[in-house]
Amino acid sequence: MADRVARLVELPTPRVPKLEVRDLTVSRRQSSGEVVTAARDVSFQVGVGEFVCLIGPSGCGKTSILNVLAGLDTPAAGAAFVGGAPITGPGPERAVLFQEPALFPWLSVRANVELALKLVGVGAAERAERAATWLANVGLTAEADAQPHELSAGMRQRAALARALACEPAVLLGDEPFGALDAQARELLQDEVQRAWMRSEGSSTYLFVTHNVREAVLLADRVLVMSARPGRLVEEVRIQAPRPRGLDDALVARVVTEVHDLLMGEVTP
Amino acid sequence: MADATEPTPEEQLAALTLSDEEKLVMARVAEILRRVNFGTVVLVVQDGKVVQIEMAEKFRLR
Repeated sequence: MADRVARLVELPTPRVPKLEVRDLTVSRRQSSGEVVTAARDVSFQVGVGEFVCLIGPSGCGKTSILNVLAGLDTPAAGAAFVGGAPITGPGPERAVLFQEPALFPWLSVRANVELALKLVGVGAAERAERAATWLANVGLTAEADAQPHELSAGMRQRAALARALACEPAVLLGDEPFGALDAQARELLQDEVQRAWMRSEGSSTYLFVTHNVREAVLLADRVLVMSARPGRLVEEVRIQAPRPRGLDDALVARVVTEVHDLLMGEVTP
Repeated sequence: MADATEPTPEEQLAALTLSDEEKLVMARVAEILRRVNFGTVVLVVQDGKVVQIEMAEKFRLR
């Protein structure tokens, strides 16, 4: 009985940081030539094995911050780190899922996954095995030989997810990865992502950018809420609830309402 | 004003009897309450037993 009660809740333990941004300011030049500061003085860490969602209104700089962490963009000020080392460019330990899955259109789904594995140095025999495993994990075994254009948008994003995860990256960065999907496909993918993260048993670090409150609360250990432009962090919500979570769970539903109200306050001052 | 028939907090405490399991659950809840300043704590109950304690803790960053 005492054991059972002890397992009722697992209180968060401090984690070694895997990703860090320190006093980050990101700006972009608009077509008019005007430089706009998207986010200002943003600092946060993401621990090893943690799942964090960064949420905020359009234009608050959340995608720009993710791009800096992916090594695809440089900040106007401040610095970003992976595993304690400054980020100077993309790296194989950081996979990125974009809103539009960037699959090679002339390759089959299986060949797309296998090519990614080849690029990170996996041998031929293991490539076939890992591709098959991950395509099965995302429910695409029957579509392995199809070309991307033959698949639905949801299936293409599942293929991109399989390709990213097959490489077993230490870090998965998601930039609104389910933003372009219909409601059902989005739910299936959220479920896949939760399961993939659970399967990694604390070794993979996920950071997703989203403007979907329900998605953030469903997926994350911590939700970081940003203000309207220039984006700053305004609130952090730490969520301690078992996975896979459902949108009907009492805690999830309540936190969704609270974060939603906070965000509405940001977009309608 | 308190209803005359309602027991005082002292009387309620004196009359309080908890099973060992209830004490352990309350101790877990107290442990959470001591660390959370702002947030939500949810007790999930099945067949009269608490089967899960969930929590969300909020921090103002500005």
